[in-house]
Amino acid sequence: MQDALAGLRIIDSTTAVAMPTAMHIMADLGAEIIKVESHTLTRDETGPYVDNDPGEEPWNRDASFQHLHRSKYSLTLNLKTPEAVQAYKDLARVTDVIVENNRAGTMDRLGLGYQEIRSIKPDIIYFSNTGFGHTGPWRRYAGIGSMLELISGLSQFTGYPDEGTPRRVGAAWFDLHVAWMAVFAIMSALHYRNETGRGQWVDFAMYQIGVSTLGDAILDFSVNGRDGKLMGNRHPIHAPHGVYPCRGDDNWIAIGVETDVQWDSLCRLTGNGLVDNPKFSDALSRKHHEDELDAMISRWTEDQDAQQVMEELQRNGIPAYPTKDTRELLTDVHMEARNFYERFAHPQDSGIGKRAYVSRPWKLTDTPSYIRRPAPKLGEQNEYVMEELLGLSEADVARLYELDVMGKRPSNTGGRKPMDTKAALEEGTLSQIDPDFMKTLRYE
Amino acid sequence: MVVSALGKFRIIDLSTEIAGPYAGRLFADYGSDVIKVEPAGGGDPARQMGPFYQDDPHPEKCLLFLCLNCNKRGVTLNLETDAGRRILRDLVKTADVLLESFTPGYLDSLGLGYDALSEINPGLVLTSVTPFGQTGPYRDYIGNDLVYQAAGGMMYTSGAHHREPLKHGHPQSLYLGGITAAYATSIALYARDVIGHGQHLDVSLAETAAAHHYQPVIRYTFLGAVDRRAPKADTNNLKSTGWQGIVPTGDGFISPTLRPPRRALSGAEAWKEYANLIGRPEIGDALAEAKTSQERDSVLMPALKEVGKFDYYHRIMSNEWLGGVVQTSEDLVNCPQLEERGFWTEVDHPVMGKVRLPGELFRTPESPWSMRYPAPLLGQHNAAVYSGELGYSKEDLIKLRQQGAI
Repeated sequence: MQDALAGLRIIDSTTAVAMPTAMHIMADLGAEIIKVESHTLTRDETGPYVDNDPGEEPWNRDASFQHLHRSKYSLTLNLKTPEAVQAYKDLARVTDVIVENNRAGTMDRLGLGYQEIRSIKPDIIYFSNTGFGHTGPWRRYAGIGSMLELISGLSQFTGYPDEGTPRRVGAAWFDLHVAWMAVFAIMSALHYRNETGRGQWVDFAMYQIGVSTLGDAILDFSVNGRDGKLMGNRHPIHAPHGVYPCRGDDNWIAIGVETDVQWDSLCRLTGNGLVDNPKFSDALSRKHHEDELDAMISRWTEDQDAQQVMEELQRNGIPAYPTKDTRELLTDVHMEARNFYERFAHPQDSGIGKRAYVSRPWKLTDTPSYIRRPAPKLGEQNEYVMEELLGLSEADVARLYELDVMGKRPSNTGGRKPMDTKAALEEGTLSQIDPDFMKTLRYE
Repeated sequence: MVVSALGKFRIIDLSTEIAGPYAGRLFADYGSDVIKVEPAGGGDPARQMGPFYQDDPHPEKCLLFLCLNCNKRGVTLNLETDAGRRILRDLVKTADVLLESFTPGYLDSLGLGYDALSEINPGLVLTSVTPFGQTGPYRDYIGNDLVYQAAGGMMYTSGAHHREPLKHGHPQSLYLGGITAAYATSIALYARDVIGHGQHLDVSLAETAAAHHYQPVIRYTFLGAVDRRAPKADTNNLKSTGWQGIVPTGDGFISPTLRPPRRALSGAEAWKEYANLIGRPEIGDALAEAKTSQERDSVLMPALKEVGKFDYYHRIMSNEWLGGVVQTSEDLVNCPQLEERGFWTEVDHPVMGKVRLPGELFRTPESPWSMRYPAPLLGQHNAAVYSGELGYSKEDLIKLRQQGAI
């Protein structure tokens, strides 16, 4: 099978989570993504390290880095040197897209802004991601996903109503959201370039991507004067709609009934006081008596196994699923059948072994997408880029190392610590360490 | 001269509710000709979901439907009739994408599955947006936002330690499914020039939620560690400020985050600078000297009650620290940044009149975002599409209507 993005080369000047994710999605599809980093800066390591051991070269053993930068190449350029800036420009000449997420103005200061690059590569697509965009009073504010979740207005709905304070959701929710929209934006610019031969600068603000998903809620305010409120797990219209306790410790089933047909099925299954109870006979009444309804459903679920009750509910046409923890997700028969967690065998000498990673939430029938290679070691493709793409001699490349323009060992080699799993267990942010996880994943 | 990025594509959008229609809207916003094909009769169920313009529950006054279907033309079609299926086949002939959200196998059962449609149009990309995808043991399971957030693992790790798992309060998984369908469809269209034909795209909404969960997955596959929710100490409203939690100010909520700028700053200096920034220099020493996060919270939380949320946010952000403010819909409507960016757009809807709503997603000056028309009325473009493009006469349209096909 041919690759969807074969022949496409992208310079990835990004850090953190959102844009590196956009880039590995395109790398998995066969684009050549060259991650430009600098050995003079600390690598994006957010942990944990392989076997919780930073080891000799922790910058090449970081698990998050393995996920975020898989399928890419690494080129180290110390952009404080003129030689590195020149090399960046030379590479831009043979590149389709530049993706960067520096604060507004940074690339211009380096002499690598859009105008500069366009003068040497007129059809370049130059994609700038910032928190708030390159214009406006907030343009210099730093934007990270965990804060943009609040700022974009998403958090006004999230939390337990009786608690009264919003809560963040425990996932890289916002980052993935903008990562995917970034891929859409880059592809849009590529479609346009392929048709017209013209590149452009894309000014992409994470903030706007978040706010755009709240159109209905924003209009409910601007037209109807209704502000958002904490929803818990409830739905504005439907009931029952929540999570209910199941047998065992911290096991729950999410059930969301949206039609009378589903309600009738649920009544037949539960067989307790729900049937023919005038309090619950129609959707409006159920919504009015939701607390009582939830209590009755909890009584029905609390002695049952979450997985079994889910299967029974779904067989009867009722939307339900357990709130699975990570171990349960990785052994979920459906996810497994669809290879959602992609298994990847790292090269023997990396010491990383076999691991599973989140793949992608879609499948295309005729073009492949898979983890092409492990995340690159620092500067792993320096020689490939300099010699094969830019035509430098071995002696030229050696000189770049001597001048500290490139490097394969970071200036900052110390200070990495293993994750304190014991403290996390005591604190409660971890529920357990599964000593047999490799067996659970069938890697042993 | 082409002036839009995606203007060369025609999308037949059979999808309903939120996820699929949002994908169609993204294409429409960047220029594609998106024909929204609604079920004859009541149309897209999203028309009933609300909120409604001035709280009037009229199917042409649904604000949700408006937001999801601007820039599309709208026709009605009954796929359960022979004529309806024939019309769909005609529409597919000139389309680049067919976007649908039916139960897996439904289009096949009508003779309109991928194989049949690609015979009519080999370049067609069929984008199917479903709860659990087209394959696997749960492919026939049904879902909704709550189910996807549970199935994706993110609920288990959200909320208070000793309470039930918590979902995102707005149906975010559906919007994310829409974005996923849009970018993957765009890739399939790009790939068409490489491989010479279209393909079937299978989007799973449960998986779009699960894709966010990469960090817990890594902690398990590298360490066997299973993530739970917030720390045990985080009960009721007593959130730790050190945990990127959300805490009250005098007039709303912020996340203090407490991440200083990258420049070197010792712990004590950082706390003093922070206290100065929030206008409470007198608590700097106490923050610096606190031994535990609980001790620090006991100083900081009361101080934060005295500040305004935007005052806090701007002081922190303009000095290169990092923090967040929980904006309400009212805050968003009045946001100077969104105003300056020209984010809002206005449509003149035939029933609702002028309505201002979110507009440009990202800025592509060469091939700009545009708002061309509001969401279609039910069947608004039947004549334009069926007569104007497919060649049915006025009399035919009357018969099709009487036969329940459109």
